[in-house]
Amino acid sequence: MTGPIRVAIAEDSAILRDGLVQLLVDRGFVVTDAVSEPDALRRSVERDCPDVAVVDIRMPPTFTDEGLRAAIDLRNQHSGLGILLFSQYIETRYAAELLADDAAGIGYLLKDRVADVTDFVEALVRVASGGTALDPEVVTQLLGASRRADSISVLSAREKEVLSLMAEGRSNAAIATELVISEGAVEKHVANIFMKFDLPVSQSDHRRVLAVLRFLES
Amino acid sequence: MVIVISEDLETRLRGTVGTILREPFTKRTWSEFWFLVLGAALAFFGIAFVGLTMVVGVVFAITFFGLAVIGLSLRGARGIGRIQRGMARGLLGEQIEDPDPFSPRPGFLGWLQSALRDRTGWRSMAYVAVKVPLAIFGIFTAFSVWFDAFTCLTYPFVGGNQPSEFGLIRVLFQPGYFSIGGPGWLHGAAIFFTGIVLFLVAPWAVRAVIYVDRFLMQALLAPDAMAIRVRSLEHARAQTVDASAATLRRIERDLHDGTQAQLVALAMRLGMAKEKLADPDNLDLDQVRELVNSAHRGAKETIVELRDLARGIHPPALDIGLEGALSTLAARSTIPTDLALSFNDRPTPAIEAIAYFCVAELLANVAQHANASQASVTCAQHGRWLRLVVRDDGIGGAQLSKVGSSSSGLVGLTERVHAVDGRFDITSPPRGPTVVTVDLPLHA
Repeated sequence: MTGPIRVAIAEDSAILRDGLVQLLVDRGFVVTDAVSEPDALRRSVERDCPDVAVVDIRMPPTFTDEGLRAAIDLRNQHSGLGILLFSQYIETRYAAELLADDAAGIGYLLKDRVADVTDFVEALVRVASGGTALDPEVVTQLLGASRRADSISVLSAREKEVLSLMAEGRSNAAIATELVISEGAVEKHVANIFMKFDLPVSQSDHRRVLAVLRFLES
Repeated sequence: MVIVISEDLETRLRGTVGTILREPFTKRTWSEFWFLVLGAALAFFGIAFVGLTMVVGVVFAITFFGLAVIGLSLRGARGIGRIQRGMARGLLGEQIEDPDPFSPRPGFLGWLQSALRDRTGWRSMAYVAVKVPLAIFGIFTAFSVWFDAFTCLTYPFVGGNQPSEFGLIRVLFQPGYFSIGGPGWLHGAAIFFTGIVLFLVAPWAVRAVIYVDRFLMQALLAPDAMAIRVRSLEHARAQTVDASAATLRRIERDLHDGTQAQLVALAMRLGMAKEKLADPDNLDLDQVRELVNSAHRGAKETIVELRDLARGIHPPALDIGLEGALSTLAARSTIPTDLALSFNDRPTPAIEAIAYFCVAELLANVAQHANASQASVTCAQHGRWLRLVVRDDGIGGAQLSKVGSSSSGLVGLTERVHAVDGRFDITSPPRGPTVVTVDLPLHA
């Protein structure tokens, strides 16, 4: 990717929208547009072709899941567009719907995450460049609700940590930094997890996210 | 003057005679006749069904089987009642309100209990029982007049010594009545004339029986006063539940859009400031100061928002009583507002809250929409009722329609007031003045 990342923002709370613009500009992003409702976002994406859209799930007119609907439409029309869904609550159903066919360029984060600016920016960059960023809360819910409790219980504590971070969409390098271990050690844990789950090892980060999520949901 | 009266009399007389002459040929007459016949058939079927099942049920009543049969009997009676109501609607045009549908509790025992306690079923059964003698009497009456009218009218043409006699005619008149004057044209004419009289009387005889049946149906097949009261209470309760769900949703929305968003933005600014401070080499103090300033501002705004939100849930002003709370409201209003209070008994907290929110919303409406220069609030006790009147000298035109944002508040108020059996009344002609009257029971 050349040049700064171009971001469109759709968020109906003015105070949060302004804050996001300020934060992203401060961090060297280009904000192509900041709008407050889904139709304006559709037009804006059509016009500016941003790399990634940050989309609030609850927006006018009905304040239910307009943002999610708009995001799914935009995904179908603009294949390269990254989508970072942004919400006050985590609904596992939304995550499942969004990740229905692909996890590339998809993010789903709690709004609270902006407080940790660096993590948030990292997640946004990851989504913009075709990766995945799932909120730890999503992962926790998926793990908790999974019918694969037997499989999960055979993992070691370290492997569970790696699994969670992997499911969030982090790369091996990022996992290594987070857990303060070597990248080689992470690779070994990942290989173990896939072996214990009896899954084929995937190369790219977003493919393995999808593989893990499918496994947990099935 | 005399002429006028006699003309009037003449028209009325003509009308009456016309009605009497036309009546045997109207659709109504024949609908009523069919109603009588079908109703009698249904009543005989009904009494057979109810009688049989009740006998079996009572014989076996010490077992569940017997109770279940009684339950079935009641359900059947309910069904007969429904058919009867349908017939009354279709043939008589008599609107008999449907009782609430049978909604048993889950499980066999639940069904049994609900069926045996079903007032509608028992009342339908009572109807069937009372209807049977009425049906017998009705059929007897109808056939005796119609049949005798028919035989009398055809007598001169078919010949014979005596027309056939049936029912009432035979009972009421001496035998030989039809042979007055002996054979001859006078004899035939007298019988023919009797036939005409019977023919004209027949519709009214049937109608008289139907009249009694209408009364019975309204009394036993329509929901009774208790059912109506229960229904209205259930409606009010549903409204209350909906209203409180709507209130919760509004509070959630306010928290979500207001406070939560404010706090996220606040945390974000502080996060940015923190990260800038963590990098002392490229520190731009002005930037950090600006971030902290806006975070500080945001925090103060959030506090104000939270306070307003909390006040919307339960106004703290009410803790000192309705008088004080209303005085505060009137004093805070941007339109000069007179306040007149006269009540001795303190209403219950729920009523105080409703009264408070009504006045708050109405004064806010006055300030926003009425373009008024003066408003007044009176709150007076009338026995066990509290009457609130909010008046303004503005442009009027306020409506209770559901469209538009300004009136949706009024609709919400109305629902709140109705939930406690109160009354909400608004008069707001174009060019004003607007007067809103709210009656609330002192104790809800």
